[in-house]
Amino acid sequence: MKTEIKHKWFYNQSPEEIWEYLTKAELIEKWLMPNNFELKMGHEFRFKTNPIPSLGLDGNFYCKVLEIVPLKKLVYSWKGGLSEKNPTLETIVEWTLEAKESGTELRLAHTGFKEDNGSILAAMFDGWDKNIQKMLTHLNLH
Amino acid sequence: MTTPTLDAFQVIADPSRRQILGMLTQSTHNINSLAENFDMSRPAVSKHVKILQSAGFISIQEIGRERHCILNQQGFNELKTWLNYFDKFWDSKLKNLEAILNNKIDK
Repeated sequence: MKTEIKHKWFYNQSPEEIWEYLTKAELIEKWLMPNNFELKMGHEFRFKTNPIPSLGLDGNFYCKVLEIVPLKKLVYSWKGGLSEKNPTLETIVEWTLEAKESGTELRLAHTGFKEDNGSILAAMFDGWDKNIQKMLTHLNLH
Repeated sequence: MTTPTLDAFQVIADPSRRQILGMLTQSTHNINSLAENFDMSRPAVSKHVKILQSAGFISIQEIGRERHCILNQQGFNELKTWLNYFDKFWDSKLKNLEAILNNKIDK
């Protein structure tokens, strides 16, 4: 099973400009979500959005700055759930910037989805994909 | 119905329930044959089975007098939802950023 999300995006702007939009609270808010981000190692901050009950999310993402490499890399934790104390989603968001001739390549890796039981799930999904589909088809359940 | 309503992630969080699902990827089982593999009582296993059933991970088929537990895809689909959600989420946010940056230049 896939436990991470990766995106790559090209922008016509310089890494300096993209970096601003990743690290200044009022600029982050313009494209992502309201937040109280600060560019400081260990800074704890939140993103606020609407609750999504069907996903068990209370509308807050609880984050902490884990790594800063100016103009190149930014990493923060990304937790969510129905309360801060008992997060069900414990993931990491990693931004990487790379200067290109006419702009910047921005890469996002959102990782760690259900890493506590990921391996068990992965094993299960392997079995699922190979064998169970056949069984379901056979039983005409799906 | 006293079976608690749990989301797919809570259902999967329990090791016994994961083990039951793991066993069902190998073959179908009835409650008794599942229970043989656990230290817990048959009613306790039965309760886990009900939770798995109500969350859509397994369905129960009556074959003769036996009730067979069979994996069901529905519950598994829900587990992928978070990933799908954030996949789309980031895609739309990165597009936002592009629009905002380009708009800034135009002005």
